[in-house]
Amino acid sequence: MSDVTIRDLTIEYSSGGYAVRPFDRFSLELRSGELVVLLGASGCGKTTLLSVLASLLTPTSGSVRVDDTEVTTLSGTALTEYRRRGVGVVFQGFNLIPSLTAAENIEIPMRVAGVSRSAAQARATELLVALDLADRSTHRPRQLSGGQQQRVAIARALAMDPPLIVADEPTASLDYLQAEGVITRLRLLAAPGRIVIIATHDERLLPLADRVVELTPRISPYDRPPERNTLDPGEYLFHQGDQGQLVYEVDEGVIEIVRHRMDGSEELLQVLEPGGYFGELSPMFGLPRAASARARETTVVTGYNLRDFRHRRGADLHTKDGALDN
Amino acid sequence: MSSESATLVIGLRDLQYRSRRFLVAVGVAALVFGVAVAIDGIKRNLQNEPGLVVGSFNADTWVVRAGNSSPFTTTAVLPESVAGELAATPGVRTARPVVIGRLTVEGSGRQNANLIGYVPAVGAGPKIVAGRAPRRVGEVAVGGGLDVEVGNDVQTTAGRFRVVGLVQGERYNAGAPTLFMTVAGAQQAVLGGRPLVMGVAVTGHPTALPAGTTATTNSVAAADLALTIKNATRTIDFVALLSWVIAAGVIGAITYLSAIERTRDFAVLRATGATSSVIVGGLLVQSLLLAVIASLLSVPLALVLRYGMPLPVKLSAGSVVQILLVGIVVGVLASAAAIRRAVRVDPALAFGER
Repeated sequence: MSDVTIRDLTIEYSSGGYAVRPFDRFSLELRSGELVVLLGASGCGKTTLLSVLASLLTPTSGSVRVDDTEVTTLSGTALTEYRRRGVGVVFQGFNLIPSLTAAENIEIPMRVAGVSRSAAQARATELLVALDLADRSTHRPRQLSGGQQQRVAIARALAMDPPLIVADEPTASLDYLQAEGVITRLRLLAAPGRIVIIATHDERLLPLADRVVELTPRISPYDRPPERNTLDPGEYLFHQGDQGQLVYEVDEGVIEIVRHRMDGSEELLQVLEPGGYFGELSPMFGLPRAASARARETTVVTGYNLRDFRHRRGADLHTKDGALDN
Repeated sequence: MSSESATLVIGLRDLQYRSRRFLVAVGVAALVFGVAVAIDGIKRNLQNEPGLVVGSFNADTWVVRAGNSSPFTTTAVLPESVAGELAATPGVRTARPVVIGRLTVEGSGRQNANLIGYVPAVGAGPKIVAGRAPRRVGEVAVGGGLDVEVGNDVQTTAGRFRVVGLVQGERYNAGAPTLFMTVAGAQQAVLGGRPLVMGVAVTGHPTALPAGTTATTNSVAAADLALTIKNATRTIDFVALLSWVIAAGVIGAITYLSAIERTRDFAVLRATGATSSVIVGGLLVQSLLLAVIASLLSVPLALVLRYGMPLPVKLSAGSVVQILLVGIVVGVLASAAAIRRAVRVDPALAFGER
């Protein structure tokens, strides 16, 4: 039995000095035997989440439990043991060690874990046969096709038979023929006692998934009615990192657009007075808000969905000077 | 199979993968090591010279003018008759005068040479390997460093001499060749023919010394002679140290470059549970192997290089052991920067594309 439980996961890091928070109190429960696809656009935090699950990155706060192991607080020997036996990782771009043969790439995780040479060789051979790579065992990565390299990477992840496999864009570098072989094998890995989590934006993987977790919510930017908001001085309309659905116009008062830095300070990007608008990029491109909007005084704003806003503003939307990246 | 063998596999496979670069690095490091070994061989030879020269007289005691410690480094003279007085002193078996001087050999290979006037006797004085010992004024036996044969003449600032014998080695004062003459010949050459000597080589132990003289030992005489090359050997030591540093730089640069290129590999290894010791061990194996192979190759290289050296190069088993030990130390030190970089690699980098 292996379950993965993510509770209130918050990850914040610095990007160019500004605070980026791809996950804010994110929660998820996965059950043994599931193949879960994390779907989302580039930059939405898929790889970051996999890094936390593989215990390669410590989140800002929150809990990640794999069975009874709290992954976020591991250190020292326990951390090493988790990476050896608790999780197998299939990296984007294969990331095999170029100087080692296919078999050695699979053997190394076992040998650093103290498995005997003969046992490691036997296990590597078993995995190579299972992945139709028996005749490629002595080949170096550059002598293998992309699909073969990815299958070796899968074998490496399986070497210690971990209960959790995480795969980052496993089909990104493959043509459709090679991708098919990899997808099929990933599907077979998800069996009782093991969870397979695949981060991808390749929708070919969706039919195979037991669950799809969309990290970029698919919200229609066209179906919300206008919203009128009255803000007190200092009150935030939205925060940097929030998902955005509406474009706002200032009816009364003053709105400040500010970007928060990692050191806790903030940078004032723009001040908007009645007639000004802001927040159009987030609903247009499905990106999180790149800055926060805050009332400087008692302020009234109205939020419009993209269709209504275009209707109100027409070509103005495309010719706005200094359009905000929020 | 334990993690130690994984360390070996990772390190050796990477060397194999980058074999061309490895061979170039070994070649360059071996050449630098070879230069270091050769100049160290020169130093060993220079340090060896005084003891050989002084020891060739088979004296038990040297008698020199009071206030001096060696006949080889002094211009203070004694009357030649002191040798006769000593020979008659109880406890003395033989007392043979020596005249020490310097002159310049003329000709295309103009160079300074040592001059030793001595009394040839069986078991005392330089070993003649061709011809015979000088018997009369105007005859010389010549040590290594002068390109002459028996029967040739040697033109010097002290006159022309006929070569009657060749002596093996016997260079001192930083490898200067030596002309051996009779005492009378040397007195004519450097003392205007006066019956003076710089010291007396005594076998036995005199119970009394002539007035105005003092006795000194072989080791004191040799140590005194070694003082003349003290700065030269210090310079050689410094150049040798620089050579080790350069070799370490070559090995360090190659190992560091490898560490930079393998950043993703280290991240993948860490992500799959490899400890720092596995990564450090792999780099150490590479660096040590490179240094040890280069240091072993440096010995035959030094043997070749010595043919281009104007001074004799003395190599011994000690030289090989020393270069191996230095190679190991250089290998460890050279890998420090690469190790520092490798252990700091963030395993999350493994998620990036190669």
